[in-house]
Amino acid sequence: MTVHTPIETRSRSIPPWAIGITVLIFLVGGVYLAGNLSGENPPIGGVPSASGSAAGGPNAQAIIAEAGCQSCHGEDLTGGVGPNLHGVADGPTSENLQDLYADHPDDWANIWIAGVDPAVSDPAMRNGMPAFGGAPYNLSEEDIATIVDYLKTLE
Amino acid sequence: MAVNPKKLRPYDEPPRKRFSPIPSAPDSAAGAFLVVSLLWLVVATGIGALGALMLTLPETLRLAFENQFPVVGTVKFEVSAATVNSGFLNALVYGWLSNAAFATILFILPRITGVRMKMEGIAWGAMWIWNLGVAGGMAAVYFPTFSGTGLLAEFPTAFDGLLLLGLLMVNGAFWLTLLASSQRLPYISLWFFGLALLAFMGAYALSSAAQAGDWLINLDDTVVALIYAFVARMIFTFWVIGVALGSLFYVVPRATFNALASGGMAFASWILWAGLSGVSALGALVDPSVPYVVTSIGNAGTILLLAPILLAVATLAMTISGRWSLTLGAGTLAFALLSMTFLLSTTVLEAIGALASVQSQVRGTEWATGPIILATLGAATFAHYAYTDHAAPRLLRRDWGDTMLTDVQMWATFVGAAVAGLSLVAAGIVHGSLIADGASTDQINGTLTWFRYAASGGLALASLGGLAALLSLFLMYTTARRAEYALVDSVPADGVPTDAVAAAGS
Repeated sequence: MTVHTPIETRSRSIPPWAIGITVLIFLVGGVYLAGNLSGENPPIGGVPSASGSAAGGPNAQAIIAEAGCQSCHGEDLTGGVGPNLHGVADGPTSENLQDLYADHPDDWANIWIAGVDPAVSDPAMRNGMPAFGGAPYNLSEEDIATIVDYLKTLE
Repeated sequence: MAVNPKKLRPYDEPPRKRFSPIPSAPDSAAGAFLVVSLLWLVVATGIGALGALMLTLPETLRLAFENQFPVVGTVKFEVSAATVNSGFLNALVYGWLSNAAFATILFILPRITGVRMKMEGIAWGAMWIWNLGVAGGMAAVYFPTFSGTGLLAEFPTAFDGLLLLGLLMVNGAFWLTLLASSQRLPYISLWFFGLALLAFMGAYALSSAAQAGDWLINLDDTVVALIYAFVARMIFTFWVIGVALGSLFYVVPRATFNALASGGMAFASWILWAGLSGVSALGALVDPSVPYVVTSIGNAGTILLLAPILLAVATLAMTISGRWSLTLGAGTLAFALLSMTFLLSTTVLEAIGALASVQSQVRGTEWATGPIILATLGAATFAHYAYTDHAAPRLLRRDWGDTMLTDVQMWATFVGAAVAGLSLVAAGIVHGSLIADGASTDQINGTLTWFRYAASGGLALASLGGLAALLSLFLMYTTARRAEYALVDSVPADGVPTDAVAAAGS
């Protein structure tokens, strides 16, 4: 049995090589910062700040956040498990939606998001995309229209 | 000579043990936190394995329904990729790592200061309050009506209150004990623990205030989201990394019987970590409403965090010098070495991920989760394994049994954490490239399937490692040989325990 003692320290000094490595890392950090002083951040959680004037505005952001769209489509809606939602104004980016787009060029996105139409309710076709017009989401047609208007502003 | 108990007269009988609902014996709080933490490890990694599987089979494993209730109205219940992922990270950080961190702090503090823990009963009570809060908050995650499903710290207010109260109680016990010590310059581990505890409590109070503010005066959604992101990063840098470093600085010299190689380097690593952890959290403020230079300063802080981690790991490696053979078998020092390796690799990956060009490539992909897995299930988990390997015999007064469970614990967790973390990092890179190339969803999902299976398998392996740790502790308690270790039970005037205890490597 040994007597309890505080943990000893062999030396109190900092070796020169340790100081050198620290200075080097600070130089790298400084160079990085100097090269990144200006620019613009993307929106947090994939949606522009509430002060933005995009169609749908804060209301669309709130609906998107509550529905949990970003969990599949990525923080900034550029794609995750689900597809990139930027550029949907030009039509769907997924091949499985091309027929729907051809039949409903104006409201294909509304029909797809609601997911209650038998034409788009096949699980194989939906590939994991929930039907937001049904339980438990129960988004109204107005809510879905607000989301679609907003998504069409994302480039 | 054996004693026949039937021949004992009444006044020869040993006094019966008194049952106390709030134990105040030395180490009772540390022991309780340790046991509960291992239970959480198994739960957290099990949820994580399910979550990774849900990325591949989202609709098959999804469960959602809603019901009407008289007072609260419509209540939604949802087990989906989003809720399970949130549940995993919350269980990992608040369940496993935080309980293990409290156990570490409450065990190490009296042994370094030589002062018996103050408010032992309060700290023991904090264990119940904290875990009630975490369990309630965890359950609420699956009810989107009541809880957010962000990265961390989005529990309902009532559970936030329990967690804050638990933190306050542990902070109280820590600071009262430390102030009762006569040491002018406490050992480096206590510097890490002290700041980690204060920063964790401050960060958690900030997120709770944001939630309460949102409820009372309907704060802007973007502001609330920014605060949550900032707090999650603060908890990661200050709490998860800080306690791991403090624990390693204690365990490595104890396990090697060597003196700490350089007090100067250790203290420099603390100063840099203390300064840069908060700066690094600014990098989480990514929104057009935040000046770009602020986010850039935060990203630079994340790159600079390499400096304190390098200094700390170098100091610990120099401390092991001459005792490297002790790292060859599964045990305290092998766990510590793995923790140091994960710590370094995580920091390098974080620094790479902080570069603007990399961020634009991997934003919103699986990349972000990879370094978090490597830091939590790798660096912090192995630091706590090292502590557990060192502390459990001293808490339970028994030797580790001669089983293979420690090997299973080490290898399953090591392979699991590495495979899960690295496969998610790789998935993030591939995912980002596919999006840049304009690949379709089917192509992306097809390519990423195997990465996701690998992540799920890795987390399942880590869960097996946690189960082995828990089983090992149970076997130690029930069947292992008794062994005497000393306690810091008296408070002499000079602050050094007179019972000359704390046996070999206390």
